[in-house]
Amino acid sequence: MSATTIEYKGSGDHRVDMHWLQQALEQDLSPKEISKSTLKLGSEQVLLGDVFSIDGKLSASELSLKNSTNHLDYVGIGLPSDKTLLVEGDCGHYLGQQLAGGRLICNGSALHYAGCNMQTGSIEIMSNAGDYVGGSIAGNKRGMAGGRLLIHGNSGDFTGDLMRRGLLMVAGNIGDHCGNRMIAGTITSMGSVGKNAGNGMRRGTLLFPSKPASMATGFNDCGRHSLGFLPLLMRDIRAPESAFQALHPMRRRVQRYLGDASVDGQGEVLIWIG
Amino acid sequence: MNINGVFIEDTFAEAFPMRATRIIITGINYKWARHAAETMTGFATSVIGCKVEAGIERELGNHETPDGRPGIAVLLFATDRKTLEAQLQARIGQCVLTCPTTAVFAGLEGEGQIALGKNLRYFGDGYQTSKQVDDHRYWRIPVMDGEFLCEETTGYQTAIGGGNLLVFARSLSQVLLACEAAIDAMSMLPNIILPFPGGGVRSGSKVGSKYKTLSASTNHPYCPTLKGLPDNVLDKNVEAVMEIVIDGLSVEDLNLAMRRGIEAICDLGKAQGIEKITGGNYGGKLGPHHFYLREIMDGDQI
Repeated sequence: MSATTIEYKGSGDHRVDMHWLQQALEQDLSPKEISKSTLKLGSEQVLLGDVFSIDGKLSASELSLKNSTNHLDYVGIGLPSDKTLLVEGDCGHYLGQQLAGGRLICNGSALHYAGCNMQTGSIEIMSNAGDYVGGSIAGNKRGMAGGRLLIHGNSGDFTGDLMRRGLLMVAGNIGDHCGNRMIAGTITSMGSVGKNAGNGMRRGTLLFPSKPASMATGFNDCGRHSLGFLPLLMRDIRAPESAFQALHPMRRRVQRYLGDASVDGQGEVLIWIG
Repeated sequence: MNINGVFIEDTFAEAFPMRATRIIITGINYKWARHAAETMTGFATSVIGCKVEAGIERELGNHETPDGRPGIAVLLFATDRKTLEAQLQARIGQCVLTCPTTAVFAGLEGEGQIALGKNLRYFGDGYQTSKQVDDHRYWRIPVMDGEFLCEETTGYQTAIGGGNLLVFARSLSQVLLACEAAIDAMSMLPNIILPFPGGGVRSGSKVGSKYKTLSASTNHPYCPTLKGLPDNVLDKNVEAVMEIVIDGLSVEDLNLAMRRGIEAICDLGKAQGIEKITGGNYGGKLGPHHFYLREIMDGDQI
């Protein structure tokens, strides 16, 4: 079955809520039915057909969103495991929120909250992402709960806030407060990391090539170690095509910091050595 | 059937359904991985007295193990899943967790999962952490040489225990030589173990005893020092009998192992004092798996 194309025609300065795609997939709506349904733009109700044109059936396993811009919020929300969504362009906030096993590739950048509360599946952002990547929407107690989130560029502040499980990879730099209130999971980077990393961290792993600009004060230096689980993790980290493939698959020597003691946490910040 | 002068008796080896698992033990080098593997497979010759039958399947190269270190594959067989799980945990806890530099991983997908590090993690006293990679959960338990890494569960599957060969020879040295050749040949194969010491058994048993408390006793019809007594079946020129017991993951694995073993024995032939090969059975009433020696050697089933 060939890929189905969804083309964004524009919405002026209005933001567009892409929840409609999730609903259309769940209800298996035809392109005709979708075109006739309504979408709220600002205070106006418009026909979806005026904002998007759809070529093909949504039952296709591969969907392509063309002409995407950072006006589109909630792109790929709840994307199920049998779907791949290729986004050509940038995305707005909440890219891949609550991803449910699907594969989401964004060829541009994403604004804040990309991959927040994602459950499983994979998200790949070819450029940068904003704040709260893999985090949690306000009010939720847990952030990203599984899957892989790969950002080829940089990510903003509070990357992995309240992260519960999964692998968050940032090939570039990470902003401040990385792993804030992290519950478990792994965040890794090939670049620099900002201030206050691991603040309130309970468990989980932050794996970086160099020390963050600063770490939460509740971290203790545990010394240098060869950790046996790292080669296993490296298989996962090196699996997708990315800058991480430059790392040696058997690398296991790290400086280990344990914290955040202020919350009786046993999270770890690992810095590659050797 | 005679092969190189060795008589292959028209009978079968009777074997039983078991539950089996495979684990992979790795270490900083083979020396330490082997220490752990040998210790945990000690006192694991027969389910009758040891609850589990276990052995080293083979050495694994760095490229074959999950953490890229030298490893040893170990197979364990028990009569039921519950016993297998209990024995596995006890042996990992006492023999692998304690062994410097080792880690342990699942070696079988299997029909279901049993605990490997799932309960051992509590040894970490709250300092243990887990890491999930590719749908596999690993436990990291702080120990005095760093971390003991163990996978949470391993798979188990239905398997077969008690495949066997009985070798008759004119002297003890000749039967040993023949059995060692067979054991060497069979040890090259995957998916099987020979759980008894060195792979050989000299105390073959029969069901029951004149003593009420014993469920099994010496197989006196095959004891050469009792030749001439009414129940004894040995010819006058047979001075020693040895048994090789084989546990395997499938019928095919046992068929192949028994064939390789018989071939190796028959290569020595009657000239080396080997008189006969037979199989141990209980008349077919106890075990559903019957391995007919002559069918195995016909080759069509391999």
